[in-house]
Amino acid sequence: MTSSTLINIRNFILLTFVQVLIFSHIHLFGYATAYIYLIFLLKLPRHTSRNALLMWGFLFGLAVDMFSNTPGINAAAATAMGFARNAFLATFTHKGMPEDFVPGAKSLKWGSYLIYSLMCIVLFYTILFILELFTISNIVPLLISIASSTLLTMLFVVVAECFSFRK
Amino acid sequence: MQQILNFLIKHNHWFLFILLEGISFVLLFSFNNYQSASMFTSTNEVAGNIYSMISDVDGYFTLNDENQALLEHNKELISEIEALKEELATLKDSSAIAAFPDGKFRFNTARAVNNSLNKLQNFITIDKGENDGIGSEMGVFNDKGVVGIIYQTSGNFSLVMPLLNSKSMLSCRVKGSNSFCTLRWHGEELQYSYLIDLPRYAIFQQGDTVVTSGFSSIFPADIPVGEIERLEDSDDGMFYRARVRLFVDFASIDNVFVVGNDDKKEQDTLEQSINKLK
Repeated sequence: MTSSTLINIRNFILLTFVQVLIFSHIHLFGYATAYIYLIFLLKLPRHTSRNALLMWGFLFGLAVDMFSNTPGINAAAATAMGFARNAFLATFTHKGMPEDFVPGAKSLKWGSYLIYSLMCIVLFYTILFILELFTISNIVPLLISIASSTLLTMLFVVVAECFSFRK
Repeated sequence: MQQILNFLIKHNHWFLFILLEGISFVLLFSFNNYQSASMFTSTNEVAGNIYSMISDVDGYFTLNDENQALLEHNKELISEIEALKEELATLKDSSAIAAFPDGKFRFNTARAVNNSLNKLQNFITIDKGENDGIGSEMGVFNDKGVVGIIYQTSGNFSLVMPLLNSKSMLSCRVKGSNSFCTLRWHGEELQYSYLIDLPRYAIFQQGDTVVTSGFSSIFPADIPVGEIERLEDSDDGMFYRARVRLFVDFASIDNVFVVGNDDKKEQDTLEQSINKLK
């Protein structure tokens, strides 16, 4: 087992706890809930295989589901996000970039990194809330939930990025 | 053949994707049944114990209020016992007391260790399970009123479907009348639920108390549920609908009672045999 895998497992456990014990209990205005574990999926290196991305997404989602009594909902959404991530990332990579890199403000520039994060997170929340409410008849609350949760999570993406930027 | 194999290997992530999404959906749909696998909910040992630890720490901060509430409840119970004792003394000689049946309800106490409020399907995790004699479809209430019904159980934890769950249905009665009706939650508002299918001929007023009917064999009769706040027409205009302010404050649930009914199985099999005849 390589050291990067061990670090990933450590981050996995830490992030799951922070997510389910703190962030899952914050519901701003009754609509917005931040899923900060998505940052983990966003920051996996460029050359992470699709299968590894899928597994990380699935396991993370399942762990969060287990604590919040929503079996399968987070798992389905995070797996889908893991699946689409490399395709989203590919639109922002161009020749002249190093072969393998960790997506971030440094490697991609702020603008590209934020749009890439936004695409992934919107996809995640769209699936999450459609599965949770299981109806698209109440389209307005659904859209409010998706938009507000995306904004809140993006805020944490930016904060996390600022911290790693300073290093 | 070689080409097909190559194709499959090249696109193996598609299959993994479909497999994982498949597992997610199986979990999602199987959760909709009572008695389904509780491994992937917070009744499993890992999640249950972690929540239990957190709630131990958390519990200290609300000890004062909780003690006060328990004292109040004790006071009420003591006065009730005194009243019943007097009643008993007057009845001592009469034969009515001999025919008084044994209570068929068994009570148990538990503590809520986790609680969700923001979803359409909220759940509460409590720290007692099968090992303490708790099974699914038992009633849960606290000193204020009805909390919900046990949904799933594991060895040491149970999942409660509170009244604040769009799937929860509770058989109720308005105090002072004999019409039965069903309580359902419409989502969104934390303190309000609706009585649906109230018959038109029944007379209700704002401020009437809603209690359990004792019909469903889950709860004993007359446990308080809430208070009627407003009467309105149902969507089809055939019935009344009442907006009910629930007595229980779901944001601060801590100690609860679980009630089981020894005769429930008998009643259920009897009722099912009638359904079969239809």
